[in-house]
Amino acid sequence: MPAPRPWNLVAELTYRCPLRCPYCSNPADHAAIRDGLATEDWARVFREAAALGCVHVGLTGGEPSARRDLEALVRHAAEAGLYVHLVTAGLPLRPEQIPALRAAGLRSVQLSIQDADPARSDALAGTESFDRKIALARAVRAAGLALTINVVLHRHNLAPCEPGEPACEGAPSGERDPVRALVALARELDADRLELAHAQYEGWALRNRAALLPTREQVEAAAATVRAERARAARPEILLVLPDWFAGRPKPCMGGWGRRLVVVAPDGLVLPCQAARDLPGLAFWSVTERSLRACWEDAPGMNAFRGEAWMREPCRSCPERARDFGGCRCQAFRIAGDPAATDPACALAPAHERLLALRRGEGAAPALVPRG
Amino acid sequence: MTTDAPPWTPAELEARLRAVGAARYHDKHPFNVRMHEGRLSREEIQTWVRNRYYYQTRIPVKDSAILAKADDPAFRREWVQRLHDHDGRAPGEGGLELWLRLAETVGLAREEVASLRAVLPGVRRACDAYVELVESSDLLTAVASSLTELFAGDIMTTRIAAFEKHYPWVDPEGLAYFRTRTRQAPRDAAFGLRFVQEHARTRAAQERCVAALERKCEILWSLLDAVEEAHRRPRLSPHAALRDDEEDPARLVIVLPERAVRLNAAGREILALCDGARSADAIARTLAARHPEEPEVYGDVHDFLAEMTRLGVVSHAD
Repeated sequence: MPAPRPWNLVAELTYRCPLRCPYCSNPADHAAIRDGLATEDWARVFREAAALGCVHVGLTGGEPSARRDLEALVRHAAEAGLYVHLVTAGLPLRPEQIPALRAAGLRSVQLSIQDADPARSDALAGTESFDRKIALARAVRAAGLALTINVVLHRHNLAPCEPGEPACEGAPSGERDPVRALVALARELDADRLELAHAQYEGWALRNRAALLPTREQVEAAAATVRAERARAARPEILLVLPDWFAGRPKPCMGGWGRRLVVVAPDGLVLPCQAARDLPGLAFWSVTERSLRACWEDAPGMNAFRGEAWMREPCRSCPERARDFGGCRCQAFRIAGDPAATDPACALAPAHERLLALRRGEGAAPALVPRG
Repeated sequence: MTTDAPPWTPAELEARLRAVGAARYHDKHPFNVRMHEGRLSREEIQTWVRNRYYYQTRIPVKDSAILAKADDPAFRREWVQRLHDHDGRAPGEGGLELWLRLAETVGLAREEVASLRAVLPGVRRACDAYVELVESSDLLTAVASSLTELFAGDIMTTRIAAFEKHYPWVDPEGLAYFRTRTRQAPRDAAFGLRFVQEHARTRAAQERCVAALERKCEILWSLLDAVEEAHRRPRLSPHAALRDDEEDPARLVIVLPERAVRLNAAGREILALCDGARSADAIARTLAARHPEEPEVYGDVHDFLAEMTRLGVVSHAD
C-alpha cells in the first residue's frame, strides 16, 4: 500500500538521561546507541518531515535537554514550520532556559513527574528532581506555554503511602489518594493536560514487568478517581491511558504502524515506534544514509505491518481492526514470540492465555531495578 | 447492588431518596446558584426561560406515558391531575401557558419560544432522555423518577424571592408559574412518595427507585450545564497555530499541543466569530440568521463549539 502522510515527528534527540526510572521504555542497551545526528542533520530531518506532511514535532529522548544544542534544534524545527513540543523530565533543563526556548519557537511542554509525593518521585527517578520539575512547570506556565504533566502509572505510585514507608513525605496537597494527589498537583501548576499512562513493558521496563504490573483494584480505583475529577472541573483535561493488560482489547498502538507518526531515533534510524528496533527480522533505514521520505515510505520494516494485509485471523475479519490496527507488534513478539501474531492483550488472541498467566504469576511485586 | 439485603423501611427509603436530592438536585448547580444570588444577565435569564420551556412541554408527555402504564383507576384519577395542571382544561390555562407568560415577561416573543426553534441541543438531549427514561421504565421506577418534586417546592420559594429582589425588571405577574408550583409540587410529591414506599417492597426495587431519581437529577443538571455553556465566550486557544491544509484549500488545520484538528469551510465560518466577546449563543444566532434556509444551523453551531471546547481549539474569555 502507498505510505500514508505522517502528522507527527517524534525526534528522539538522545538516549542520555539523568533519571533512572525503572519503567523506562527506551532500549535496554541504550548506552550503546550514540547521538548520531548533529544539529544540521536534525535541521534537515525537520524540513523533510514538514515536507512529508508532519505538523508536529515532539523533541524527546532520553532527555532532550541533555543536548547542548536544544535551543538551536527548537529554532530549526520552528523554522521548518513544525509545532514544537518538548517532552522532558525537567532536568538538566533549567527554568531560566524557558524564555529563550520560547523565543526560539517552542510552543508546548510535556513534563514527566514520577509521583505527587516529592520523596517518592525522587526515589522512583533515582535522583533528586521533584523540586526542579515543579520550578520548571511554573516557568513553562509563566512563559504562556501549554503544559502537560505526564505520569507513568504502575503498582508503586498507585499505592497510597504506608506509614513508615521510607520514601514517603506525603503530597503537598495532603491528598492521600495517589491519583487525586496527581490531579491536585496538576491543577495547582495550572497544567492544561494531565496524562496518566500505565507503563508499557518495553525496553528497560520489560525487566521490571513483574514489579510494575498494577493490581486490578488499583487500575479500577484510578479510573474511578479520574471519572470523578473530570466531572469536578474541566481543567486540566485528564487523559487516562488504560493498561491493555486488563482491558481484554488491544491498544491502537501508535495509531497504526507507520501511519500517523514517524520516529527518528538518536542514531538516525527511522521507526514506526520507539520500541520497534528490538523486533527481529525487520530492516529499518537511517536518515544518515537516505532521505526521511525514503526511510518512511520504502524501508521494508516500515511496510511490514502497514495496512491490513499482514493480519491473520482473528484480526483479518475483525470489525475492530480499523480502530485498533491489530494492537502492538512489540507485545506480540514479547509474549507470543512472533511480531505478526495477534496482540496477546486481545481476548480473542491465541496467546491471550499466556498474557493472563503472566498477569497472575507476576503479582509478587519484587523490587524495582533502576534503569542502568 | 446489594439486592439480597433486607428491604429498607418506608422511612429509610424516604431518607435515601431525600439524600439524593440533598447531594444532586439542581438547586446546587452553579447556574441556579447564580440565578438565586441575582448574578444572571438578562440574556442568561432569557436563555434559561426559553430552554426550560422545552422541559415543560415534556412533562405532560412523560405523565401520559406514566398513565399508560397504570392499571389502577385510583392511581390514574390522581395522576391525570398533572395533565390538567400543565395543559389546563381550556386554551389559555395551565402550566405551559403560565410559562409562556413568564417568557413574555422576561422579554421573549411567545411564538418564538413556543416554536422550540432555538432550543439548545444539550437541553433537547437532556429532556428527551427524561421521556425515554420514563418510557423504558416500569411504573414504579417511572414514578420514582418524578420525585424531584420532593425538592421542587423549596426551590420555587427561593426563586420567587430571588426574582422579586434581584430582577426587578421582571413583572411579578410573570412569576405565577412558580407560585402555582409551590402548591402543586408538595401535593404531587406526597402522592408519588407514598406510592413508591408502598410498591417498592424488595431492596432491589428500592435501589432501582433511588437510581432512577439519581438519573433524573443528572438530567436536570445537564440541562443547566447546556444553558450555562451557551453563555460562555469562546475564543481561539492561545496555544493554537493555524495552517492551510495542503490537501484541500477550503480546509484549515489547527495545530495544538499534542493534537491537530482539521476544519471545513463551515467550521472556519464558526471559528471566525469566536472572538472572546460573543457568547456561544450569540454566535449560533448570528449564523442561524445568516443561513435561514438551514434550520439545523443553530443547534449544530452549539454542538460544534462544545466539541471545539473539548478538543482545546477554543477556550473561554471568562
